[in-house]
Amino acid sequence: MSQTSSRSDTEQGDGYFLRAERITKVYSDGTVALRDATVEIRPGEIVGLLGENGAGKTTLTKILSGLLPPTRGRVVSPRGQVKFASPREALDFGIGMVHQHFALVGTFTAVENVALSHERPFAPLTLSATRERLEGLMAESGLKVPLDVPVEKLAVGEQQRVEILKVLSQDVDLLILDEPTSVLTPLEVDDLFQLLRRLRGEGKAIVLITHKLKEVGSITDRVIVLRKGAVVGDVQMAEVTKEELAQLMVGKEIGTRAAQVVELSTDDIPVPISRHKEEAKRGSGVLHVENLSVAGDTKSQAVDGLTFDVFGGEIFGIAGVEGNGQTELVEALTGLRPAMEGTATIHEKNILGLDPRQIYKLGVAHIPEDRWVLGLVLPFTLAENAILGVHRWDQFRGPLSILRWGKINAHVRALMERFEIQATGPSAPAKSLSGGNQQKLIVGRELAKDPAIVIASQPTRGLDVGAAQYIRDTLVEMRDRGRAILLVSADLDEVLALSDRVAIMYEGKFMAVARPEELDRQKVGMLMGGVGVKG
Amino acid sequence: MTTTDVRPRGRWVRGVRRTLTGLHPALESVLAAVVGLLVGAVLMYIWGYDPWRAYWALLRGAFGGDYEIASSIARGVPLIFTALTFSICVRAGMFNIGAEGQMYIGAAAAVCVAYFQLPAGLHLLVGILFAAVAGAVWSLGPALLKLTRGVSEVISTIMFNWISRFLVFYLVAFVLVDPRQAQRTVRIPVSARFPILVQGTDLSYAVFMAVAFSLLVYVVLWHTAVGYEVRAAGLTPTAARYGGISIKRTMLLSFALGGVAAGLAGAATTMGLPPTYAIISGLPELMNLGFDGMAVAMVGRNHPIGILFAALFFGGLNAGGRVMQFYGSNPVPLEMVRVVMGAIVLAMAIPELIRLFPALAEAGRGLARTIARRKPATEEGA
Repeated sequence: MSQTSSRSDTEQGDGYFLRAERITKVYSDGTVALRDATVEIRPGEIVGLLGENGAGKTTLTKILSGLLPPTRGRVVSPRGQVKFASPREALDFGIGMVHQHFALVGTFTAVENVALSHERPFAPLTLSATRERLEGLMAESGLKVPLDVPVEKLAVGEQQRVEILKVLSQDVDLLILDEPTSVLTPLEVDDLFQLLRRLRGEGKAIVLITHKLKEVGSITDRVIVLRKGAVVGDVQMAEVTKEELAQLMVGKEIGTRAAQVVELSTDDIPVPISRHKEEAKRGSGVLHVENLSVAGDTKSQAVDGLTFDVFGGEIFGIAGVEGNGQTELVEALTGLRPAMEGTATIHEKNILGLDPRQIYKLGVAHIPEDRWVLGLVLPFTLAENAILGVHRWDQFRGPLSILRWGKINAHVRALMERFEIQATGPSAPAKSLSGGNQQKLIVGRELAKDPAIVIASQPTRGLDVGAAQYIRDTLVEMRDRGRAILLVSADLDEVLALSDRVAIMYEGKFMAVARPEELDRQKVGMLMGGVGVKG
Repeated sequence: MTTTDVRPRGRWVRGVRRTLTGLHPALESVLAAVVGLLVGAVLMYIWGYDPWRAYWALLRGAFGGDYEIASSIARGVPLIFTALTFSICVRAGMFNIGAEGQMYIGAAAAVCVAYFQLPAGLHLLVGILFAAVAGAVWSLGPALLKLTRGVSEVISTIMFNWISRFLVFYLVAFVLVDPRQAQRTVRIPVSARFPILVQGTDLSYAVFMAVAFSLLVYVVLWHTAVGYEVRAAGLTPTAARYGGISIKRTMLLSFALGGVAAGLAGAATTMGLPPTYAIISGLPELMNLGFDGMAVAMVGRNHPIGILFAALFFGGLNAGGRVMQFYGSNPVPLEMVRVVMGAIVLAMAIPELIRLFPALAEAGRGLARTIARRKPATEEGA
């Protein structure tokens, strides 16, 4: 299997529509989202863009559709180099994107929404012309949506169709869909795929971002696999198996599991996640979850009847592509989201239905997945943030509920020292800290609670290697001191390296629970993509 | 296709922007006051008044002597309370413009002490308590509507302002009316009045209540767990919830505390305002104090201590403005003072405005591009 499509191929490429050449994208915070990626889009072809979270799928499509400028590299068409200053220009060029979160005005009808997308400043509004155009398009494409109902009253699948019609009405040649099936029912998925095939027949190019291996197999002609920002595979679907794709997506097999050192696959990005762990000394049960179901914001059953235990002295890792219920699970266990049914107990005391502060009192520390939304009050100082959630504890609070700022500041200084938080002092605002130091502050605050269980959600996301390693070491140290750790992470290497047991979550259910030694990466990749593995 | 990054003028503009956006909040307020006064001066000049003489008169009228200073402070007292109402709720993440109505209710409740007798000090305390509780209870209407039905507090407090206004009109005319003096309510008995602090002026001991309440609000917000919860909920509700803070509780608390402040404004303008010690029909002594309080809160940067200074400044403008309109051969009307106040409030937004400049410039460029676009965005290949 060739790792990338050969250069000479594309050079003769008469029939290509768009080619992104050696694109590198570095975000302003230093994150490298794309490394030297070259992809080619051809008319009359459905291309799957496959990769884990953070692999660079969305960044690549944003560059193609003009939402982002590349740091290095260029986008060329047969007519020459193209540069888009805005999505509108990309649209005029013939590139349309359907985002995961629809850009529709809820109180407008389909006609009004489409007319809005055609709207130019100071040009007259053309509702009747838009309606004719839409009716024509609907007849042509077989897409049916009610035209005169406010779109907020439509089902999600219908809204997506409005979004697709909106893009089609601009006469696009390239249609990019970002995870289009994640919000659809199986029947709606079938409808969508039929439509995509028809559009391919009309000679349009289609790019489908996805992480579901099943879908890739059933609809795409060609698959481009991204990992850590690099194109690691560009293959005809007919020539590859799901197993091979899974392996490409998550990286090569690692032979050194026994040494407990995991190294990332691609040679140019060595980010070793090492763990010198003693064998787990599993203690008594801390968290017991039984038959837990939780509703999501859009899904009725984001967590679907989960049952599991987390014991003292072990790290229980939950791997999986984001959006498969991990967030809802953590929120339900920490009092931020009501559960629909089932039970969850900590040391045999019920935690469902309690508010977060009561749950913390039972010995739960929560490192939330979004430190800016949940973990910190950014305008607050370090000291103020360091007592969030424990501000009513007696050590920080005197008579009449007066806060003991002296003791709090001393506490913060101790945290800053112990967790190596770089800041000017306890009165520095949290927003002035770097991401790594903000996360260390949260970790420090939560571990200072001396919890029985730490629920850590994406604890190292967006951090540099040093800070990430520090936080991983801290979690392992907590485990070694007999605490239970529930680790949720989209970073597969991290979960596999740290966990004593790993669950792979897909659409609200655990596909498997196993010791990391028993899992190879190909198997994990398949499970993450929703393909069950026998035996 | 020009790049806009490197322009010679750009550096200067950016320098000014950095300076202005990095300004300390207190300096920002001072700057806004100066800009407001300048705008007032320009307007006076255009309409043929002499700004220097007018401002001199204003200054003399506001701070030219003991009497003037006392009057300025006296006019600032109710503003301190109504500004606190607004600020407490801003800190809790809400936009409560109901101080006006809550103050009316507080004033009406304070007047009720005229119907019974108590020893001197106690009578005063009971009056204060009446006003505070009445203001708090009135504020619960919008608060509960918000918590149970999600009604925007902006809308509901405006509605409640109108309700309380006509309710108090009615009370003044038919219920609390003095049978001998139909244009006002019964007078608050001497035993329930704030003693006069500076004889011959409006300044009563109510000013101590205002300063003490300000300090109390400061302590509550910055030095108690409850205040910590209120501020956290106001800044980042999601993080507050994560921290185990009940947003509903902080909202209710801040609304109630704000209601207490507004009620006390009502007490200060009845029990502490000579010579009438009553509500006059049409509420001339009360009208707009709640709204002016919002301006004071903004200039005081929603900080209880800042509000004290801002209230003194606005009180001075009010007191001095009265002098200004009698001064010299071509006196400036009182309305000009309100123009200055408005200009100051607008000027408070200047630092925000400057933060907006890049976005505005970008929008302008986008518009230009849209108009200019007639050819496809393809460039010649490299």
